[in-house]
Amino acid sequence: MIHTIGIDVGTGAVKTVLFSADGGKTDWLVKRVERIRKRDPYKLAEETMNKALEEAGLSVDDIAYIATTGEGESLAFHTGHFYSMTTHARGAIYLDPEVRSVLDIGALHGRAIRIDERGKVLEYRMTSQCASGTGQFLENIARYLGITSEEIGELSLEADDPEVVSSICAVLAETDVINMVSRSISSPNILKGIHISMAQRLLKLLRATKVTDGAVLLTGGLALDKGLVAAMKEGVADPKSKTTVEVRGHEDSIYAGAIGAALWGAFRHEKLADIAALKIAS
Amino acid sequence: MPVQEIIQRCEELFEDLSFSSVRAWKEAEPGRKVVGYMPIYVPLEIIHAAGMLPLGILGGGDALEVIHGDAYYQSYICRIPRSTVELGVTKRLDFVDGMLFPSICDVIRNLSGIWKLMFPDVYTRYFDTPQNFRSDIGGEFYVNDLRELVSGLENLGGRKISDDDLRASIEVYNESRRWVRKVYQFRSEQPWKVPASEVYLLMRAGQTLPVEDHTQMMKDYLAAVENEDRRMKDNCRVIVNGSFCEQPPLGLIKSIELAGCYIVDDDYMMINRLITEDVESEGDHLLNLSEAFIKHSMAFPSKFEPNGEVQGHYLADIVKQRGAEGVIFAAPSFCDPALLDQPMLANVLDERKIPYIAFQFAENSGQMQPIREQAGTFADSIKLWSAA
Repeated sequence: MIHTIGIDVGTGAVKTVLFSADGGKTDWLVKRVERIRKRDPYKLAEETMNKALEEAGLSVDDIAYIATTGEGESLAFHTGHFYSMTTHARGAIYLDPEVRSVLDIGALHGRAIRIDERGKVLEYRMTSQCASGTGQFLENIARYLGITSEEIGELSLEADDPEVVSSICAVLAETDVINMVSRSISSPNILKGIHISMAQRLLKLLRATKVTDGAVLLTGGLALDKGLVAAMKEGVADPKSKTTVEVRGHEDSIYAGAIGAALWGAFRHEKLADIAALKIAS
Repeated sequence: MPVQEIIQRCEELFEDLSFSSVRAWKEAEPGRKVVGYMPIYVPLEIIHAAGMLPLGILGGGDALEVIHGDAYYQSYICRIPRSTVELGVTKRLDFVDGMLFPSICDVIRNLSGIWKLMFPDVYTRYFDTPQNFRSDIGGEFYVNDLRELVSGLENLGGRKISDDDLRASIEVYNESRRWVRKVYQFRSEQPWKVPASEVYLLMRAGQTLPVEDHTQMMKDYLAAVENEDRRMKDNCRVIVNGSFCEQPPLGLIKSIELAGCYIVDDDYMMINRLITEDVESEGDHLLNLSEAFIKHSMAFPSKFEPNGEVQGHYLADIVKQRGAEGVIFAAPSFCDPALLDQPMLANVLDERKIPYIAFQFAENSGQMQPIREQAGTFADSIKLWSAA
């Protein structure tokens, strides 16, 4: 049996998981998430890993593979780094084996990924350089409205007459929101309008990856945003969306990247051992 | 000397677009001359034998704003000639006494004409290497070419280049190339100890420093890096191809590595190792230099391969030799030699089932996220889905 760690250094939070792996069997032992809040993400990643090790009663020498993803490529102590698309795909299959597509919605980008049953990426699309489909944008809006990020989802669900905002550009959308505040539009209606606009954009991304049916898992920090999940479901229900996907969330969606990293780390550990054995044999 | 100190020195040389160290070398003794050259290859031995300092001109990089240079070239031409013109027009190269423009492509050939018009007092020469690799045809042509260069530099320097001068210079460059090969070999064996960005800076320093100093620097670097405690990571091994003329920003090289790739061979600074064996130092020196180029020079896109059976095989051969798992084609936008050869090289890679990706850059490319994304997913695909 081996142990592997997956560390997902995001823009807003560091997620760390610890797995044991024995052949094809894996056990998820520890999960930790720490919001960065202006701290050094790399120091935080190391601290979080040490806490995870402590919780599992292990030391770093017991870990066969420390895998990073997200922005974790500069962490000095990692064994290997995997690109976040690869890890979210694998993490999604672990959390929900039925899904064949993933919407990874993080602080700085949204990404639609079509995958196969092994978690192999078949196609993907990203929200290029604009932040209007992302968590950072929502956090900015929360600041304008004087609410916390955690309140966004619940407030959005209270909306009764949502206002439409630009889904093209974060700057335009933020201007829209400032106008709405001055017109005394309620926070729930503003937030719901933003969620609808984000959902439309994300569904477009899904269609661009040729995903129009089957189950899609939301991952990344915004996967836990109830308002966004509701807007996504409503968006799919609209016949104009030209999609019949089933939008799914998971309570551990935020860990998808870290899970994928840890599981790919276990896979690589085994593969490298096989390659070494082959070399010795030849 | 610690690795960090050596690399910091290289970085200072790399970033200095006023070429202070070369100016200082020139001012140290009256009568010293500096001869600039562009990629890919000129016989540095002859410049050295003339008592002059060869200076590699590799464009302006990402730190130089090109204003005047854009007026000289169409928008569909690569960036290196524009930034080189910019270096000239802004007097950053006003200490350079001669300029050699090798036969890499039409753009660089035309730049030699522009240079002659712009700087009539500078000894400017279009240096035409042979495309026929028979000693009695291309070899003879090249010997005559070298003879003209010798004569030109003798006129520039005001003194004869003796046989002893040439012999000494050939030996100095033979030693330099041996150490370059050692650095590349060491990196191929232990790439985690020798990051590609460091090798790049080290090799780039050779375009500015006197060759003797550069050789010592390589010796110091290898001695120091052996003792560095750098952890091996689970990265894939790749060859970078296509960046032999216009240079990528340093950030691009770092991005490829950060994305999970060990670069185990490349075609940056080919001039440092284009001749693959020691040049014979006894006998007719110009003939020896010619024979070295004809028989023992690396393949590159601006060099014709007469044997159709092996055209485009060299890259796949390097992949095998270095134990690489894939190739990253990273060519400058609008680079005719690199981009025209790429399909042929890719076909051979396809035949041998060697994975590859391709992207283009300019020396002032600033957005590295797409590069990281492509290189990162490429590394993942090799690590997770390759048959090995």
